Amino acid sequence: MTPMLRKGWFDRAVMAALVLLAALWMLPLLWVLALSFKPNELLMVRTDVFLAPPYTLANYADILQTSAVFRWLGNSALVAALQTLGVLVLSSLAGYGFARCEFPGRRWLFPLVLFGLAVPSQSVFIPLHRLFSDWGLQNTYAGLALPGLAAPFGVFLMTQYFKAVPIDLEEAAMLDNASRFKTFFKVVLPLTLPAQATLGIFTFLACWNDYLWPLVIATKPEMYTLTRGLASTQTNFAQSEGLGFLMAQAVFAGAPVLMIYLFFQKHLVTAVAGTGRS
Amino acid sequence: MKRSLFMVMLAGAAVLAGCGDNHAEPAPKTEITLMRFFGSCDAKFGAVNDASQGVGECGIVTAMVNEFNATNTDGIRVKTQTAEWAPYYDQLTARLVAKDIPTVAVMHESALGDYVRRRLIEPLDASLPALGIGVNDFTDHARRGVTLDGQIYALPFDTWAWLWHINTTLMGQAGLMGADGKPRLPHSPDELLAMARQFKQRTGKPLFAWAIVKETAATNRTFQTLIAQQDTKLFSDDGRRIDMHQPQVVNALSLMQRLYAEGHVKPNLDYGAANQAFLNGEAGVVVVGTWTIDQFLREARKPESPLKGGYTVVPFPQLYQRPAVFADGHSWALFKGGAATPEQHAAALKLLQFIWQRSAEWARTGHLPVRRSVAQSAAFRALPFRENLAEITRTGASMPSSVPTQRAVELLIGEDVSNLLVSGKPIAEVQDDVEKQVNKALKKVRR
Repeated sequence: MTPMLRKGWFDRAVMAALVLLAALWMLPLLWVLALSFKPNELLMVRTDVFLAPPYTLANYADILQTSAVFRWLGNSALVAALQTLGVLVLSSLAGYGFARCEFPGRRWLFPLVLFGLAVPSQSVFIPLHRLFSDWGLQNTYAGLALPGLAAPFGVFLMTQYFKAVPIDLEEAAMLDNASRFKTFFKVVLPLTLPAQATLGIFTFLACWNDYLWPLVIATKPEMYTLTRGLASTQTNFAQSEGLGFLMAQAVFAGAPVLMIYLFFQKHLVTAVAGTGRS
Repeated sequence: MKRSLFMVMLAGAAVLAGCGDNHAEPAPKTEITLMRFFGSCDAKFGAVNDASQGVGECGIVTAMVNEFNATNTDGIRVKTQTAEWAPYYDQLTARLVAKDIPTVAVMHESALGDYVRRRLIEPLDASLPALGIGVNDFTDHARRGVTLDGQIYALPFDTWAWLWHINTTLMGQAGLMGADGKPRLPHSPDELLAMARQFKQRTGKPLFAWAIVKETAATNRTFQTLIAQQDTKLFSDDGRRIDMHQPQVVNALSLMQRLYAEGHVKPNLDYGAANQAFLNGEAGVVVVGTWTIDQFLREARKPESPLKGGYTVVPFPQLYQRPAVFADGHSWALFKGGAATPEQHAAALKLLQFIWQRSAEWARTGHLPVRRSVAQSAAFRALPFRENLAEITRTGASMPSSVPTQRAVELLIGEDVSNLLVSGKPIAEVQDDVEKQVNKALKKVRR
């Protein structure tokens, strides 16, 4: 007997309801996918078409024939990878520092970092842009990636995680003459891999999907990220005259993220479930 | 394993980022940048070097720039930088702050004033005659649109306006076609209401489809049209105050409210859905701009379309004493600092001259020409329905150029007029709130 059959009727009802809700949640996404294979001319008149013909790959062909699209894809991947790497390094170091090290100002510095969680990124947008443009970082990879390195959530997550690691392990390493950094790097850091994976995935996805910051800091087409670049190709009335193209753009931009999800879904689910610990 | 995978991905990203449109073309003598919206259509028009072969806004402007690049004998290369329509001015402002200034940029005439007041745009009065561009050839609306404090700050590109796109088959069913084969148009608010009632009674459908959900532009433009037709000054002379407590404002709002409340406007439509409803024969009239003419015409030629053989378009009918229709326009501006060298400056002017010479091609989009000579030409008049619309080059009405932050003001007005229709907000409250919010916004403007 399978575990499902062994469960009671209530569990099965809950499962059925969840499946139904998941299907409902998926419906708009499937609709987007279906519309991306429809001719724009048809979608000007009807958007209630789903599986019925006609079908076309023209919308995807139009994306791929946009001269800079692979460059934008590369820019997105590069910026997201650099930002993810930077956030992991900085958050781990800062988290370890807050969790284990005593230093002057620690008691007020940590709440100050947490306060960063309450500040919407849009509220610091103008001064941030001013700062970066004054530093000559407009249209540079550094300009695209650096602001995301200030990650209060990452510092908070890693601090809590390091606090949960038994201190005995570190003390044992130090008794064996390991330096503080060696203890951190060789003993404690490997234990935080699930948290690193969680933080890495969230950072990568947030950076990949970001549109607003690249909108103002990347103003030359060769420096656009994928979201920014695809948006720039939209005609003024795309929601009416180029709906299929618009939907294909959404699928194209989302596909790499979906692949990342497929590779790392175990860590993502763990992270979302709030049990990011092995 | 995972680390290797990550390194491979990183290397792949770097390689991709190095890819791009690095064609092995000879270095141009002078390179200038052109910032614009209208989308990107490299796939279809990237290799088209003849403006007359372009189709639609994106196709024509792309082919036009390609033609300039291919035919100019001065070694000038225009590098196009596209940005999407909605956040266009946010990006433009970000570029100006970062001193990453485009040489030439497209601007709505309604947005021009904000940049001129900040002294960011170069006046063109001295340059235009040398290019053979006569300002006397500008249409009335175009000239008003690009003139601030007596100086010309941009080269007008087109005029776009607020129109009634009409399904004449449905109008016929409703008994609203004249003996001359043209739709009977209302001449007063009462006539409009009577017409809408008759249409609903005979066809069972609402007369109008217009976008109310997810956008505020349509309601604002209709409101502005009704105000302009009553010859009303909504703003003070210095453009720093709006007065919503005028009987003409109540007239306009009451009419819009009654049309919606009596079910003469198909409810809950966004921009795309409003156009769809019209194309599917679910409403007699869609109130939208000049830019959809070509699209609707193409649909009307399809045998299976409910619009087949039954489409016409007219300016928003005159319901009050003055012929006026909300209109705006696109124009090309030269930003100060956008040309680093005299050669680049000269190249930018050559581009403007080229665009001016191809004005008639752009008029194929449905937008109205900004040159009298083109508007009066047989070729333009021979384009479908343009004869009906040519009067807008004279009757087009915009907000006075003295009003700053016009796009924000339009948004504030549109939002509350939409509230009036969708959520039944009382007219008096709409008047109070628009006045309060717009005046607050205008007060904040420094220049």
